[in-house]
Amino acid sequence: MTGQKIKTKAFVAFLVAPAFLVLIGVVIYPFIFNVVISMSNMSLTHIKDWRFDGIRQYVKVFTEESKPNFYGIFLKTIIWTIVNLIFHVSIGLFLAVLLNQKDIRGKAVFRTILVLPWAVPQLIVALTWRGMFNYEYGSINLMLTQWFGLPAVQWLKSPLETFIAVIITNVWLGFPFMMIIALGALQSIPHELYEAADMDGASWFQKLKNITIPLIRPAMVPAITLGTIWTFNNLNIVWLVSNAGEPSDQTHLLVSFVYKAAFNFYRYGYGAALSMVIFFILLAFSLTFMRRTKATEAAY
Amino acid sequence: MDAKTKTALRIAATYLVLILFCVIALYPVSQIFTISLRPADRLLSTSLEIIPKDASLRNYRALFTERPFALWLVNSTFVAFVVTMTGVALASTAGYAFSRFNFIGKKLGLLSLLVTQMFPATMLLLPMYIMLVKLHLINSYLGIIIMYSATALPFCVWQMKGYYDTIPTSLEEAGRIDGCNRFQTFYKVILPLASPALVITALFSFMSAWTEYIVAAQILQDTDLWTLPLGLKSFESNMGSEWGLYGAASMIVTIPVVILFLSLSKWLVSGLTLGSVKG
Amino acid sequence: MTKGAAIVNSSSMDSRRLHILLFICFASFVLLGCLSGCKPKKEGKIKITIWHQDRIDIRLVLESQLQKFMKLHPEVEVEQLFKETESLRSGFIISAIAGQGPEIVYGPADQVGPFQVMDIILPLEDLFDRAYLDQFDPKALTYYKGHLYQIADKLGNHLTLVYNKKLVPKPPTTEKELIAIGEHLTQDLNGDGKPDRYGLAWNYTEPFFFIPFMTGFGGWIMDDSGKPALNNPGTVDGLKFIKDLRDKYKIIPNESDYEISDLLFKDGKVGMIINGDWSWSGYEKAGIDFGVAPLPKISKTGLWCGTMVSPKGFSLNANISEEKKKWAIELIKFLTSDENELEAATILHTMPTKRSVLASSFVKNNDIMKNSEIAIDHGRPMPVVPELRAIWDAMRPSYQAVLGGYKTAEQAAADMQLDALNKIKEMNE
Repeated sequence: MTGQKIKTKAFVAFLVAPAFLVLIGVVIYPFIFNVVISMSNMSLTHIKDWRFDGIRQYVKVFTEESKPNFYGIFLKTIIWTIVNLIFHVSIGLFLAVLLNQKDIRGKAVFRTILVLPWAVPQLIVALTWRGMFNYEYGSINLMLTQWFGLPAVQWLKSPLETFIAVIITNVWLGFPFMMIIALGALQSIPHELYEAADMDGASWFQKLKNITIPLIRPAMVPAITLGTIWTFNNLNIVWLVSNAGEPSDQTHLLVSFVYKAAFNFYRYGYGAALSMVIFFILLAFSLTFMRRTKATEAAY
Repeated sequence: MDAKTKTALRIAATYLVLILFCVIALYPVSQIFTISLRPADRLLSTSLEIIPKDASLRNYRALFTERPFALWLVNSTFVAFVVTMTGVALASTAGYAFSRFNFIGKKLGLLSLLVTQMFPATMLLLPMYIMLVKLHLINSYLGIIIMYSATALPFCVWQMKGYYDTIPTSLEEAGRIDGCNRFQTFYKVILPLASPALVITALFSFMSAWTEYIVAAQILQDTDLWTLPLGLKSFESNMGSEWGLYGAASMIVTIPVVILFLSLSKWLVSGLTLGSVKG
Repeated sequence: MTKGAAIVNSSSMDSRRLHILLFICFASFVLLGCLSGCKPKKEGKIKITIWHQDRIDIRLVLESQLQKFMKLHPEVEVEQLFKETESLRSGFIISAIAGQGPEIVYGPADQVGPFQVMDIILPLEDLFDRAYLDQFDPKALTYYKGHLYQIADKLGNHLTLVYNKKLVPKPPTTEKELIAIGEHLTQDLNGDGKPDRYGLAWNYTEPFFFIPFMTGFGGWIMDDSGKPALNNPGTVDGLKFIKDLRDKYKIIPNESDYEISDLLFKDGKVGMIINGDWSWSGYEKAGIDFGVAPLPKISKTGLWCGTMVSPKGFSLNANISEEKKKWAIELIKFLTSDENELEAATILHTMPTKRSVLASSFVKNNDIMKNSEIAIDHGRPMPVVPELRAIWDAMRPSYQAVLGGYKTAEQAAADMQLDALNKIKEMNE
């Protein structure tokens, strides 16, 4: 059957090749460049005449006495990622399930309004949220004090509150995306499964646990994996809502730290090394996650 | 409680929750609308009104008369359209291969797609710029279209693959039995069933191109080639941004996205899927 | 009919659509290939590009002046490109290192430091004759490491006291007057226990906006050799003063960044704001009857609060070709001509740099310009060394910690100094 085999291989190549050509060109070269720079001393004073430096930059990343230090920011980044993902996925899935019910009207309208946080340009929305968190004039405190009689919160004054404020903003921005993915994923579940479960007298929770969640997994895993990676590396929101790390440079993720090092201080070698560290962390995560969810194989 | 009351309660609760979330989603967006109506470039205000007392549509007019906003719209639409088409074409085929076939380098290939996402984009700017200079792609749309497609593809390929995985291979066998060759089975049988994933791919590719700033800022040097994010950035200064114009532009920029979503969303929830073919 | 055929038939409508979609995709590939190759090039003209970070008013004036230049010299085409400040700096660095970039880069003087160290801008003293350079106020020529790297057409970027004439008929000249006016204005007008109007508001959490008070109390960020000297009594007293303004005299809002203070002033809810020359036109548009005054004098030291003053000017890309260099020099001379500088000053209220324009009746007699000049006089030039960034970054956390109540002013000053030294060391490795 060699004719058939060749045909198969050709077909596969036809499907996959274009995507890969583009990717190799566009990503591999910068990747290698970054690896090289991370082992160099490229910085303000050595921008054109940098030389190979070994792993000195990596050592600096882990041992530098900077305020805030690497491990503190790393921990913060992990917490940031996990909390965000949990809310994004649960809210997204929740809304998708609600919108997937057959006897609800006006679904198109609801869907469209709920997708707005994703559709609106991020810069101005992030700054609007920052304004909403202002202690005296922001809408959030105004609502807290006037409608709920609670004391106003100093959102942007102390590290913990600022962190929470940034998380709230990012959750708002991120749930529509997960909602769309979940909506798509729900379509792949045959209705008869639910009908059969109903006939067996299953509760909504049992249906969720035994039918919905297992079957939407293949379609949701890419979004969750990549969502984790993107959230981990999300520079924009943290930067904008906290005004580049305030208070006192405490509101930082690993990425914003890289940005500051590379672009504010011209420490390109250090920035590249830190980027590689981020990369390895995420790689380890992805490998583990994929192995556990068997995402590289087919579902059926 | 009988079944009818249970259903009524469920429906009422659903509407309530949906409306609550809609309000939460809408409120900050309405703030942007307010900014666009306020004269004198105020990002924030001490009053909570949605339509300010001195509201005017001046900013919307100015966008088209004082700035080349229409040009940016056209440019962005073109770029986003091509990226979307490319993304859908390449992701739908590559995803299929990853889902249905086992070949050398498959696992590695999938992983490397993920790997591309793990780098903070800012670190890739310098090498990307150097590479594009050498390829004479600076200041051209081909340059940014390639970049955008490359950054959107990994997610799209994975998403398509994940979705294809939920479609049983028995369908392709059925198609083959009826005399379709591989390619026909692919685009007549499988592809329509994967329409929700295609919609997501299209939306995602579109948004990547529609909203991207960093790469565009580095590559496009001619103001005639500016896309919307670059145009919007020109309203912004470190201190003293033209918030009125920015707000108006933001509202207009959102409209095509909403239109695209509206027109595609019926395929997102098409339901023309497995229900009819299982068994 | 088998299942397969059933599917094929029912989905033929959609498959046709997909057919079309795929075709469009391949068609656009082809189209794209053509397009990027066929951009019409303006034949024969020499193209000069200027990158800048100017706000819109300045851009419009620049554009009209560029048009005039192109009419005088039809063989040259000049294009201006706006980039936001940070993008301008990093974008220029990336482009120049790759051998590209604009012929002229225009911006504040502090970008000269890093650009020079990276060897991407040209020394200018040999390209312009002495007679020409002598026409400038010395503050407009930025020298670094012994060479001239930037020629400015505007001087400023300085902070001034902007006051709402309706609420503050006469601006304060000492800090005691400032506090008095502030206390008089800060009132709770609607009885809800919170002030609805403040005497003063400004972006006080940002070090740049703190500098005037540091100088007013006798300090400065560097010593004469350019090394940081943040641990000085001026820093400590200045920090305490600002904290008092908020907590003791209560004339400034609890949280006030740039946007909030700007908003309060535009809404008429604050009597005075400390802001720079870039903001005046915004207040004019908002309909506020405002006046500009120099920052007050500190009674304890007898010193005026002096802001940092920075020229904004032209530098030449080190990659520039010989042919274009000639034209770039012509262009710079044109834009800094007396006529053009006066036009810019009149429309924009920015401070010009040619001696003859500075002596003109407009600059001498216009209310805003007069006060602006005094403020500049009281100020100190902003250092252009790259280490300045490290100093800002070292100041910010400790400064904000004092305001947040976690550190004493003395401790903060000491910490700032240590941080600055550390960061500079890191930068220069």
